Amino acid sequence: MPELTEDQRKALEEKIKNMSPAELAELQKQQCIFCQIIAGKIPSKKLHEDDTSLGILDINPAAKGHILLMPKQHYAIMPQMPDEIITHLFTVAQTLSQLQLRALKATGTNLFVANGPEAGQRAQHFLLHIIPRREGDKLLEVEEKMLDKQYQKSIHTSVQPRLYELLGLKLEKPTEPSLSQPKTQQPQPKQQDQIPIEPSPAKSPSPQPAAKRPSKEDVSLDDIANLFK
Amino acid sequence: MKCDYCEIIEQPNHTEILYEDKDLFIIVKDMVITPGQITIVPKAHHPIVEMLPHPIMEKCALLANKVSMALFDIMGGGTNILIQNGLAGGQKVPHFAIEIIPRKENDTLPLQWPSKQLGEADLESTYSLYQEELHREKKQPDQTSSSTTDAKLLESSEKPSEKKQESKKEKIKTDSYLLKSVNRLP
Repeated sequence: MPELTEDQRKALEEKIKNMSPAELAELQKQQCIFCQIIAGKIPSKKLHEDDTSLGILDINPAAKGHILLMPKQHYAIMPQMPDEIITHLFTVAQTLSQLQLRALKATGTNLFVANGPEAGQRAQHFLLHIIPRREGDKLLEVEEKMLDKQYQKSIHTSVQPRLYELLGLKLEKPTEPSLSQPKTQQPQPKQQDQIPIEPSPAKSPSPQPAAKRPSKEDVSLDDIANLFK
Repeated sequence: MKCDYCEIIEQPNHTEILYEDKDLFIIVKDMVITPGQITIVPKAHHPIVEMLPHPIMEKCALLANKVSMALFDIMGGGTNILIQNGLAGGQKVPHFAIEIIPRKENDTLPLQWPSKQLGEADLESTYSLYQEELHREKKQPDQTSSSTTDAKLLESSEKPSEKKQESKKEKIKTDSYLLKSVNRLP
């Protein structure tokens, strides 16, 4: 977008302030390139489409075959999305990851989400990246470091209460001291029998009688799983 | 070689566990990309994304969102949700997991990539590889509805990996999961 002058920016801010939520959503849509793609106003190479999601080839990919999977509804980041959209996108991503292994003979994939500009998010529309990977492609070369035990504990202590709050669970103190925290009074989650989030039954049909086709491509999944040996 | 995550699941006392239920753990690992990184690990041993049953994926995804929200609230900044799938995908442990990684501006983590500028010809050739594969999947006689072909293909691979759970621990080293199950089929 071209830079706005101070006056233009103020006028725009004023306009936005006075808009109804519906008008705002409409403006967002007009500004968002992915909403334009979803509306068919910008052409794209579609690999998956259903009522709520669209998967297309990224034209500026990390690697050839990089797929962008997006909700048709405009959401900027994952926390804004309804649960059923999140679960749907991730299961579709499973099939698209499998498609990359088979069609491109990729030997690995990454599923990747960036929430917020600090995390490298460049689009205003939530995107789930599915990136085909090969040995030595030098993508996302993250190194793991050893975390100091104390630090590990402090992360645990600071994250757990908020996580439980978000999950709608009560944090209970352990009845016996646990081995990992012999001397501290750190609260431990009571083991949950009831899980707070159950996958919707409608979306998880019982597995079909396994009708795996014994074609030669089928070994690829095993090959990939067995590379770990 | 024993699976590191199965070990944690068997001996949870040696790890920092944030949450546990019948299907999965949420843990603070000691080997991380950046401090504050949280990992979601299903209890059942599914090596890669393609072998993970959809309901477990759904649950992992929802919890990843909650963990991400918790990290937003506590650490500020943004988050990445990363699944490393297969050795080439950077996966270290042969057991599916989701990493939630807190990000700060200018933290220089290599979780970005330079965008390639692909020409129309390159895009077209990649697209046709995908189309061929999708077409081939559709033509499979045991697949009925064309719109859900992919999903069905994947579902059919769930069953084998679930069967596999029963005897997984001893066999992880050498066995080919799907092949074994395929052999059992008529």
